[in-house]
Amino acid sequence: MWTLAWKNVWRGRGRSLVTAAAVAAVVALMLVMYGFSGATQNGMFQNLTRTTGHLVVRVKNADEAREFDMSLIRNAASLKQKLAEAVPGADVEEVLEVPALLASEARSRGVVLLGLEPDGHLMQEFGGKYLTAGKLPSGGDNWSADLGKALARALKVDVGQTVYAFAPGTDGLGAAAFAVSGLLDLPESTMEARTAILTLDVAQQLAAPDSASRIVIFLPDLKTLSQESELERVRDRLAPLVPEDYELLTWKEAQPALAAILEMMKPMILIYALLFFILAGLLVVNTVYLSLVERIREFGVIIALGADRWRIMRLVIMESLLLVSSGALVGGAIGGLALWHMSQGFSLPGNLAQQYAEFGLPEVLYASITPAQTAQVFIFTVVTAIASALWPAWLAGRLEPVEAMRHVA
Amino acid sequence: MQTIIEARNLHKVYRSDGIETPALRGVDLSIGRGEFTAIAGPSGSGKSTLLHLLGGLDHPSEGEVWLEGERLDNKSAVQRARIRLWKIGFVFQAYNLIPVLTALENAAFVLELRGLPSGERTERARAALAELEMAEFAERRPNQLSGGQQQRVAVARALAAEPTVVFADEPTANLDSKTGLALIEYMKRLNREKGLTFVFSTHDPRLLEHVRRIIHLEDGRITREEEVN
Repeated sequence: MWTLAWKNVWRGRGRSLVTAAAVAAVVALMLVMYGFSGATQNGMFQNLTRTTGHLVVRVKNADEAREFDMSLIRNAASLKQKLAEAVPGADVEEVLEVPALLASEARSRGVVLLGLEPDGHLMQEFGGKYLTAGKLPSGGDNWSADLGKALARALKVDVGQTVYAFAPGTDGLGAAAFAVSGLLDLPESTMEARTAILTLDVAQQLAAPDSASRIVIFLPDLKTLSQESELERVRDRLAPLVPEDYELLTWKEAQPALAAILEMMKPMILIYALLFFILAGLLVVNTVYLSLVERIREFGVIIALGADRWRIMRLVIMESLLLVSSGALVGGAIGGLALWHMSQGFSLPGNLAQQYAEFGLPEVLYASITPAQTAQVFIFTVVTAIASALWPAWLAGRLEPVEAMRHVA
Repeated sequence: MQTIIEARNLHKVYRSDGIETPALRGVDLSIGRGEFTAIAGPSGSGKSTLLHLLGGLDHPSEGEVWLEGERLDNKSAVQRARIRLWKIGFVFQAYNLIPVLTALENAAFVLELRGLPSGERTERARAALAELEMAEFAERRPNQLSGGQQQRVAVARALAAEPTVVFADEPTANLDSKTGLALIEYMKRLNREKGLTFVFSTHDPRLLEHVRRIIHLEDGRITREEEVN
């Protein structure tokens, strides 16, 4: 029957080719769309995790801590070292966030002083991406800080001038003077208006010696969102090293709002996929139906020879499956080729690249598709083929042999 | 002779737009195994309708059809299809081969419907084509064959399935004299040598000269039956 179905598909060659081409286009488009969405998500993932880290250790329920010192990891350097030894190759950094009052000669503002390791990944990230004037802050004998541009404007200070930080009620010095070493153009205006960065040792001396607000772990091999399970494996391996009062979270758990943005893309792509396949399905229905109408007499003969209605329905569905599969194979090959090309890295054209860059996406994106998404395209194809053939198959199955054989097309 | 087909008080009325047109008005007949029988009559006498009812292609309005002791008329469409598949062969006036299949594939088609393995059905189809001297045309499609050759493939399709009975509806009507006579000879030989039962509906005198029994039908009734030597 498969032979007959295959031969029947190509009887109306022109019509079948158009339909198969439409299916091919949809399958190729879906693969490219999934690949592009993967590239965007991976870009966003890399962008997000560059500042959040892949894993974070912090005090349990740190967000709800009322006092600054209740949110601190004590003896952070020792824990950091244990974690670094457990994940060779990973970049493990301490971060200390100090709520403080920052004042200039003229004004003062409530700020967050962000203490970062001077040679660490995060400090380089800030320096490379957001530093627009001056240099990165230094520790040692010359304490300095980089201020968000908006904060510097509010305090009416510029590079080289002095600001004073007050962090009363902490275990450190509680107050210190800093030279403004640089200005930062941060992506969020609220962050820019209330952030200053300084070196970790300076922040610790000011407010919390030997302590950190969090320990951030960067896993250099983790580049795509689909490596989730790898991340969870590392988390599970590290969890026993983390004392009971602290928690080890993946970036998703630590930043649920950011993770939700990435998750939002999935249903949108699924809706697009459904719409495309419904359109292709309508074309398939049309082709299968017309093919049925042209062959009513032939169906009558096949029924007369002994085929029952189920076999006739099967034949129609087989034809639809073969037609759609032919298109899907071609589309899969074209889409696969395009995906492979995009997986080597691609840039968006002109304005689009600029718009995407504003969302923090890298200039070069790398397409990727998960096995689940590939399976989704496959399932949609099969479902389209079967669903499109159901109505014509039902009509064919109800034909009466004598009447059908009298039919003149 | 063992009776294989029996019709009891068969009636068939066609209804269209509220108008009733009787096609058969109480037909009783029986056909034995190995018969070479024609149902003859003018156009509109009900020959084809009777053949369709005997072959389980249609439902009678009234009456019964029995095939090898099994009642056919009260069966569902699926059950009748199954009986046709395993017990009945058909040859149609318009050949009705499947145009995309080769002669060999057409001859093997019923066997494929029965689910026979590819090797066995090809072997049987080739043998059937050879019986009808069509072996050399096995790979040709119907549009590459003459009318007579197509009808021989149709007979081979019925023959390959080794049915209990072959119903042939005006099998020679579309053929010229020479081709028609040749086809009749083929069918006669199959009947004689293989004991295959043939029931024709025809008004072709060439065919009527060769059958052994003629059932005359007029206005949906059997008017007479004759044995021919």
